[in-house]
Amino acid sequence: MNEINGRQLGAMLLISDVYFLFCLKGSISPAALTGFLAASALQLLFALGTAARGGASVRPRIFFLGYSVFLGGLVFSSLWSVGGMIYIPCENGCGIWGRLMTAALIAAVCIYISHEGIKPAARASVIAAAAGALCLAADLAGSVSGGDWKHITELEGRGMLSETVRGFALSGGTGSFAVLLGSAKGDRAGITAGYFAAKAAVSSAVLLTAMAVAGRIAEITERPVITAMQLSQPFEAQRIDSLFLVMFVVFAVFTAALYMITATRLMKELFPRFEKYRSAAAAVLMTAAALVISGRELLLLRAVLAVSALLLPLTGIKRSAAGNSG
Amino acid sequence: MEKGELLPVLDSSIEMIRRISGSSSDVLINRFVSGGVHCALLCCEGMVSASVITELIFEPVTDIPRQSSAEELYRYINEELLLSTDRPQVGDYDTLFRLMNSGFAVLLADGMDFGLAFGVQGYASRGVQEPLGEGNIMGAHEGFTETVRTNMSQIRRRLKSPELVMEMLRKGEKSHTDLCLCYMKDRVPEALMDRIRRSLDGIELEAILTTGYIRPFLEKRSFEIFDSAGTTERPDVLCSKLIEGRAALLVDGVPYAIIVPRLFCESFQTLDDYAYKPYYAAFIRWLKYAAFLAAVLLPSFYVAIVMYHPELLNSTLFMLLADAEKRAPLSILTEALFALLMYEMIREAGVRLPKPAGGAVGIISGLIIGDAAVNSGLISTPLLTMTALSVLSGLVLPELAPQLTVLRLAFLIAGGAMGLFGISLLACGVLVNICATEDYGFPYTAPFSPFRKRGMGDTAVRSDIRKLQSRGFTVEEYHE
Repeated sequence: MNEINGRQLGAMLLISDVYFLFCLKGSISPAALTGFLAASALQLLFALGTAARGGASVRPRIFFLGYSVFLGGLVFSSLWSVGGMIYIPCENGCGIWGRLMTAALIAAVCIYISHEGIKPAARASVIAAAAGALCLAADLAGSVSGGDWKHITELEGRGMLSETVRGFALSGGTGSFAVLLGSAKGDRAGITAGYFAAKAAVSSAVLLTAMAVAGRIAEITERPVITAMQLSQPFEAQRIDSLFLVMFVVFAVFTAALYMITATRLMKELFPRFEKYRSAAAAVLMTAAALVISGRELLLLRAVLAVSALLLPLTGIKRSAAGNSG
Repeated sequence: MEKGELLPVLDSSIEMIRRISGSSSDVLINRFVSGGVHCALLCCEGMVSASVITELIFEPVTDIPRQSSAEELYRYINEELLLSTDRPQVGDYDTLFRLMNSGFAVLLADGMDFGLAFGVQGYASRGVQEPLGEGNIMGAHEGFTETVRTNMSQIRRRLKSPELVMEMLRKGEKSHTDLCLCYMKDRVPEALMDRIRRSLDGIELEAILTTGYIRPFLEKRSFEIFDSAGTTERPDVLCSKLIEGRAALLVDGVPYAIIVPRLFCESFQTLDDYAYKPYYAAFIRWLKYAAFLAAVLLPSFYVAIVMYHPELLNSTLFMLLADAEKRAPLSILTEALFALLMYEMIREAGVRLPKPAGGAVGIISGLIIGDAAVNSGLISTPLLTMTALSVLSGLVLPELAPQLTVLRLAFLIAGGAMGLFGISLLACGVLVNICATEDYGFPYTAPFSPFRKRGMGDTAVRSDIRKLQSRGFTVEEYHE
């Protein structure tokens, strides 16, 4: 059933990718940018294989359900970690209860979004993504006028392989891409290519802005992209951090909602008798996952899961094709 | 309740009518002999024109030559006289009362089990006047009235096409309210009309006294912040919607028409947009979008930033606000809530009170309460300025007033409780609610999301009329 179009699916996935990029830890450098682009290119290759075979057949549903819950947990966990940087009033100074309250509020909104279904979420994601693009453009304008592009060449990065792994790890949308591609109408290969091209462009824009604005501060700050966004001030009279704060939370909500929608959809297929409280169950599982993750980045695990999310549907198809021929 | 077929004996029939009506004093029964047959002319006092009934019914009917039977009398009236253009037959008491209460005079003859009704409506009604709620500078100054037939004629006068269909319906077990479903049959898919008719079939109300009684039946979801069925009191606006392939419902007794489907972007469009140059119309539209955001978010952003994120302000602004707020005895959130709730009370008082007193309310609230509140230090001047700006922005979009009022308060509480984080969370919920609003397969947020490039020519901007003419737009383009 074609419920959403390619542009809407792309917007939903891009929001999750940009959110994880915002939460990026550690230094950023031209090598990081190259690694991200290489990871995107590899993901595109894997994803085109999935798209060419239909994309809808998601055999290892349990894996995707677990992956969605894990990523949802990562959203909550990262939000807790950056709570101090983005000034969440109920979280700062309230300890674990403040964190749980933050998670509960976000989960409540996500449950509502999930309850409304994928169509409204997809439509809203397009509007949120457009607003995010405007904010990003404002920050880019700030970096062009106030940033120093010499910083980019001065920054030292990790090795190429390490940065590519990081690029894979920070891909928030691969699991949902594999699950939801079947729900999108239009040319699936075109949607796939468009999404990964947009992802590469947005990642480049964000990383270049961050490098130009933050410069060597990026090497010592915990979250270089957030720091860069806060430092980038295109207007002399007024800071625009408020815009970034709003966009950050909106992206966090839509990212968590994407995983919740993916998880509830898979729960419906796996446990058809479990009709009520699927979204609430997903929210509880995600919060529990966030408590387990507890602020850790888990880059290697995430990279392996991201690659698996793109390869598993292919192996499933191959196996079923072999079964049919035999 | 079924009241049965008409009785052939006139006395029994009149007795039955008296019994059903409870001998209501406004049911007038005039007995006379016409053509040698005992007859009665029934009508409802105040619903018919006395002069018309005398000239067109009584005078010709009493001049009828002697007839051999009641059948002959009816045949003579039907074939030899032209008493009225609207002459339905009445076979039962339900129809008889419905027609009588709609301004028909009903002729009953002894020996006949049916009557003849003549449309001689003459009830008092308001004339066509300028609409109060939808001001227009360059367009027509005519609005709908409370009489559905007058409203139908206003539409027909503007759209003389034979494709314009007006279907009369009757709803309301007690009120028997006339509804008129209007659409252009070459523009609206039959499937959509069937779905609308099915929605209307679900109405089992006792009375329909305003459009609000019907709209919930046309809006599918139980909780929509914004209305997916719109209203207008302007016949010219309604005609433009009909040409765009929408359906409209006129309700007798209400000077508003319901339009289905409605889109969010339409709240920012007026007929005047097409009277001005495109660049000015586009500017006004963007001004309205900005006003919408200011009306909803300005007080909440002010409160959130001052309470939780003062570092976002530049030093000059920060000092200015700190100086103003330190003299106020209440918390900023309480101040803002107080100011907004006071405004809502004053507005409500101004709307309900008679006009002269309403003006006095404005003077008291503006000069006395506002000035005194600031001078006494109860409310800080910047906060009052923000509140006033927000309220003023809301007045740019009068048809969204209920939504703006509630959203403004909700965002204020969210911002006051949790800062920008709270505002963002609520914004997500509201955005999804708006995007989930969809009736009959038409997304409320079209053409923004789902994005339709062709729709932008009359949404984000206002293209040249020549371009719009060649486009041949119908709302079906947005159907999903």
